[in-house]
Amino acid sequence: MADSNIDYTVKLGLLAEYATPAELMQAAEKFREAGYRRWDVYSPFPIHGMDDAMGLGNSKVGWFTFCCGASGYTLGMIMIWWMNAHDYAIGVGGKPLFSPIFSFPVAYECTILLGAFGSLGGMFILNKLPRHYNPLFKVERFSRATHDGFFLFVETSDPKYSDIETRKLLESTGTRQIEEVRD
Amino acid sequence: MDSHSHPAPTADVATVAARWSKKAVVVAGVGAVLAVVGGLSAAKDGGFGKQFGFSYLQAFMFFLSLCLGGLFLTVVHHLFDAAWSVPVRRLNEHLACLAPVMFVLFIPILILAKQIYPWMQIADPASDAALHAKSPLFTPGGWYGVSILLFVLWTFVSFQLRRNSLNQDKDGAAIHTQNMRVHAAYGIFIFALGLTFAAILWMKGLEHQWFSTMYGVYYFAGSVWTTLATLYVISLALKKAGPLALVMQRNQFHDIAKLFYAFTVFYAYIHFSQYFIIWNGGMPEETFYYVQREQGSWWGIGMLIVFGHFLIPFLAFARIDAKLNIAVAIPVCVWAWMMHYCDMSFNVMPILRPKGFELTITDLGCWLFIGGVVAIAWLRSLASHPVYPLKDPRLGEALGIHFHDEGDAGHAPAKASK
Repeated sequence: MADSNIDYTVKLGLLAEYATPAELMQAAEKFREAGYRRWDVYSPFPIHGMDDAMGLGNSKVGWFTFCCGASGYTLGMIMIWWMNAHDYAIGVGGKPLFSPIFSFPVAYECTILLGAFGSLGGMFILNKLPRHYNPLFKVERFSRATHDGFFLFVETSDPKYSDIETRKLLESTGTRQIEEVRD
Repeated sequence: MDSHSHPAPTADVATVAARWSKKAVVVAGVGAVLAVVGGLSAAKDGGFGKQFGFSYLQAFMFFLSLCLGGLFLTVVHHLFDAAWSVPVRRLNEHLACLAPVMFVLFIPILILAKQIYPWMQIADPASDAALHAKSPLFTPGGWYGVSILLFVLWTFVSFQLRRNSLNQDKDGAAIHTQNMRVHAAYGIFIFALGLTFAAILWMKGLEHQWFSTMYGVYYFAGSVWTTLATLYVISLALKKAGPLALVMQRNQFHDIAKLFYAFTVFYAYIHFSQYFIIWNGGMPEETFYYVQREQGSWWGIGMLIVFGHFLIPFLAFARIDAKLNIAVAIPVCVWAWMMHYCDMSFNVMPILRPKGFELTITDLGCWLFIGGVVAIAWLRSLASHPVYPLKDPRLGEALGIHFHDEGDAGHAPAKASK
């Protein structure tokens, strides 16, 4: 009987809601300046300047694109050489069996193909997708992040997190409402 | 952006321009002396006209790239209703308005044309199948007539665009933007057809037997590429010197560099396609052009264009931070000038010097002279007008001012720059 009163959930963080993108951006600047690391913002549309406000660096997706693109080019060239000049040599119009000139368009297409796969895959890996469940989905107000709500979520796992100080900082940003998120 | 937030920086651009102009006068003077001395000393080899004419044509095509590149960037700015390029648009307008100066600089080529272009020496055009097929464009009348007409049209479009832009500085009315759009709409055709005719008549005409449908777009790709590198450097210099300090943000440099990067790939795509089609076709009436350009050190210049014009800038500028890092960007822009010079040389000089690439005193002199004159003319325009479009309706947007509420006014530019 008494067991039903025990709270098995864990406190994950604080979710603050803002009325406008400008307020959210100012809040993000405060969190960046305060040195918080494990926090994120949610808005219905991309906000110009938010990356700088949050202090986010350059995305690392480019490295996936570059490495996959370079592999695509190399593999494309090897494939053409292997098929046309090595495994089943075909002479066409007196041209050399292999030349980087005629191979280039196809190798280039392979660069783009694998580069695109790299971009997509890299984005999934870096964002830890696919992810079917997020504790924020249980917060009813949070569904407005896809409509007209602007949110900042700071995790308790952040090294700087403290129940009192973090709440104070959130309050100083002019938020509409602060909510505890549990899971 | 309200016009009262900072004063019109015209006064202080005049001092900057005057300082740079003094250097340009020296460059032009030294260039003129070198060109004449070099031309005379090489005159025993086919005559002064031929030696000087080729060097001059090579330098002229190099700097014509900047004039036409400026026209292109101005025109596409209006066609796409762009916001980001408002702070640099005046610089482009001045480049485009070099057209009448380019005409004056073209006069030596008009005079020496008979010595430069082998087809003009053919007595009976009907005896040469290639020449006959290209009549009436490749007749003296066609050549001189179209050449002069091109400058008239470029001058007309570029001055219309700048006149409207300057009028907007006074009242900020949207009607000027709409007028500029009209001039841009037909201007893109004048630009595209004009540039193609220029490349064919003045550069490809050196080998009138040859044909390539990609030749115009090839010169276009290289020209806009070089112009963007130039724009990066001069807008950076004007930011450091003061006149553009307030309006040239991180975004503008990033966007110029992105466009430069796109044209790096575009140029490679175009030049490769031209080569690829001719290589695959394997027809002697086309291949002779590239066979000639594999003789002696021209082969090395060809390789330099493959790797230096494409691969080096491509890898150097791949990252965002590289595009914004002066220590990378300035060398890349200087490199772009060198590559464009090699490219022009690759097109013009194999006819005069079939054995290989050379850099003579005449080449250098002509290049310095035309560069100096172009710089003087451009700086004079720069000094006499506001250095950016003061009241363009899109200026605020260009500066990253997206929110109009009190709390966020002027947010992005201030933060982004630190």
